Amino acid sequence: MAYSDKVVDHFNNPRNMGSFKKDEEGVGTGMVGAPECGDVMKLQIKVQNDMIVDAKFKTFGCGSAIASSSLATEWLKGKTIEEAQKIKNTDIVQELNLPPVKIHCSVLAEDAIKAALADYQKKADGPATDAK
Amino acid sequence: MNDNKGNGMDHHHTHSSNPRELQMARSMCWHCQSEVSGEYFCDRCVKVQPVSKETDYFTCFGFPRRLTIDPSKLEAKFYELSRAFHPDFYQNKSETEQTISLGNSATLNSAYRTLRDPIQRAEYLLDLEAGAVKEIRNSPPADLFEEILELQDTLNEYRAADRTSEIGQQLRAKLQAEQLTLEQRKQDMETGLQQLFTDWDALQDRGDATSQSRTERDRLLKQMREILSNRTYVKSIVNDLVATIG
Repeated sequence: MAYSDKVVDHFNNPRNMGSFKKDEEGVGTGMVGAPECGDVMKLQIKVQNDMIVDAKFKTFGCGSAIASSSLATEWLKGKTIEEAQKIKNTDIVQELNLPPVKIHCSVLAEDAIKAALADYQKKADGPATDAK
Repeated sequence: MNDNKGNGMDHHHTHSSNPRELQMARSMCWHCQSEVSGEYFCDRCVKVQPVSKETDYFTCFGFPRRLTIDPSKLEAKFYELSRAFHPDFYQNKSETEQTISLGNSATLNSAYRTLRDPIQRAEYLLDLEAGAVKEIRNSPPADLFEEILELQDTLNEYRAADRTSEIGQQLRAKLQAEQLTLEQRKQDMETGLQQLFTDWDALQDRGDATSQSRTERDRLLKQMREILSNRTYVKSIVNDLVATIG
């Protein structure tokens, strides 16, 4: 199957590959997997004053999964938490021109974003709740 | 357990199988409109009947919904039905019958491919029982994911390294050790699955509808789902390891 130019570009030059320390302040980690194909995706955001200042990913999977998460980190940087919530898998499908059989890769990326945001939120809320 | 072969530990599904007693989701012959009591052929006009889309693969083969299936019995039934539906035998029949023969043959082939592999068979059963499984969300295995991603880093290091160099050799040795460990883990998962399959079949054979047995049923489905998923993750990184270090 032929990958779109954009997928190939992200695959050959993945943006923001790597990871942050999980317990670092302001870091949210999303770890998700697709049990159907065995793909694994880890996506992390670093938040300061409600703004995502940095994002990183590591993905074990096919080209489309790598491209989807690479693109996701690109989009996340500079967004507020609220804006980041609005990223949809269909946006990724459109941008990368993913064929129907690869739509699940974009779903995985959206799940990873949601999981990272939720983890950040949980960490941010955590101590405050404990203090009450 | 090997994906491609069944296992011989089969004692549950022996049903005095009479192909004419199959439970099929249809009631009327398309040709003569007489009552069809769940068979592949109409009793009265002897026309072939379409296997309904709602008929699950187990039913299609006349097997109960069990996870242990005798591969030789499955194969025998497959050949028997293949002959019954084979398009070659319908060349001189009506267009409707030819269409039914093609459709039934296709369904039969998919059913056979799915049921003869114990893992695919279990995945399929979980899909059938999806109502229960969907409510049971397993949390993703974070430790396993971390391990896989770390291993992937090592794989990338190895791919970039000069393979004849000392560091290349060290990485290779490390990866080989990882591969062995992971293959062992996959093996252990399959042993665990085998036990769950046996437990599932025993529970189905008891067939009681107590709340206790429902709890047990949900527990088995959840555990199978979890191990099957984890097995897929392990399998896919093992494949990558094998492809890289050979």
